[in-house]
Amino acid sequence: MDHRPFEDWLLNNQNLSVDETRQLNSHLQECSSCSALAEVNLALKSAKMAAPAAGFADRFQLRLEAQQKALRRRNFWGFLLLTCSVLTGLVWTAWPVLKSLVQSPVDLLASWLSTVVSIWASVEALFQGGRVILKVLPGFIPVYVWIVVLLAAGGWSLLWVFSLMKFTKITQGA
Amino acid sequence: MTDEMAWVHQAQKGDDEAFTNLVEMYQKPVYNLCYRMLGDAEGAEDAAQETFLKAYQNLARYDVERSFATWLLSIAAHHCIDKLRRKRFSSFSIDEDEEGQTEIPDRSAPDPETEAVRQQTRERLQGCLQSLDPTDRAAVIMRYWQDCSEVEIAQALKLTVPAVKSRLHRARRTLADLWEEKEKKSHMRHERKPYGSPAF
Repeated sequence: MDHRPFEDWLLNNQNLSVDETRQLNSHLQECSSCSALAEVNLALKSAKMAAPAAGFADRFQLRLEAQQKALRRRNFWGFLLLTCSVLTGLVWTAWPVLKSLVQSPVDLLASWLSTVVSIWASVEALFQGGRVILKVLPGFIPVYVWIVVLLAAGGWSLLWVFSLMKFTKITQGA
Repeated sequence: MTDEMAWVHQAQKGDDEAFTNLVEMYQKPVYNLCYRMLGDAEGAEDAAQETFLKAYQNLARYDVERSFATWLLSIAAHHCIDKLRRKRFSSFSIDEDEEGQTEIPDRSAPDPETEAVRQQTRERLQGCLQSLDPTDRAAVIMRYWQDCSEVEIAQALKLTVPAVKSRLHRARRTLADLWEEKEKKSHMRHERKPYGSPAF
C-alpha cells in the first residue's frame, strides 16, 4: 500500500485542509501502519508526566548530606595518609642524622654549634666589608653620576607606578 | 530576574536552601525523564537523585546564558543513557520485562473504564519506548513530555538540529511499528480467550 503523502503528513504534524483530513481519515481506515502512527502521535501528545513519590527533596537533602559526610571522611583519611607518608619520608631521609643524634648527642650538637658560629662569622665579615665599601665609594664617584643614577631611578619608579595603574584599570574594566 | 535565576545565583554562591528550591521546582520533569528512559520507578528515583547531585557538584560550571531546565535535563538524559548502556553490557536486558512494567494509575480519574483504557495506552507506549535506542528515546521524551524545542534537544543531547529531526522521525516510525505489532498480539490474545487454550 502506498503511504504517501499520509505518512509524511503524520510525521511532520502538518496542518491539513478539510479535504486532506478526509483523505487521511479514509486512508487510516484501511492502513494499519499509518493508523498505528496516528495512534502513537495521539498517545505521545496526551502522555502524562510521571511524578516522584512525596518527599523527593527531603530524600535528596539526606543523600547530599551523606555524600558530603563521605567526602569529608575521605578527605580526612587522605590527609592523614599524606601526612604519615611525608613524615615517614622525612624520618627515612634524616635517619643517619637522627641515628648519630641518638648515639652521641654531644658531638653532633658541638658540630652544629661550630657550623652556626662559622656562618655567623662569615655574615659579620661580609657586613663589615660592605660598610667599608659604602664609606669609601662616595668619594670615588663624581656628583653628576649620582644625579644621573637618581634621575634614572625616579623615572623608572614613575613608569612602574603608571603601568601598574593602567593594568589595574584594565582588569577592573574587564 | 526570575525566581529560578535568583536561586541559581544563590546556589552558585553556596546557598543549599536555594538549591533545594530548584530541586522542588524540577523534580517532576527530571523524574519523568528518568522514568520514561529507564522504565522503573526505583531506578528513576535513583537516577533523578543522582542528576541533582551531579548538578549540585557542577553548578559552578553552569553557563547562565543557557536554560537551567535544559542543562538539568541534559545531565539526566546522559546519566540515563550511560546507565542503559552499562545495563546492555551486562546480561540483563530491560526489553525482557517490558510487558511486566506497570504505569502509575491516576486515582483521581472519574471514569474507571476510560482510565483503564488510558492506562493500557500509557503502558503500551512505555513498552514501545523501551525498545528505542537510548538517544532516540531521550529525544522523544524531551520533545513530547518536556515540550523542548529541537534546538534545546540538540543542545542537551549534543547533536545537530537536523540529527534531532531525523532521530525524532525515525523514533516515531519505530514506535508506530512496535505499536502495530503489539496491537496485533493483543487482538490474537483476545481471539483466543473464549476457548482458554490455544489447543482448541
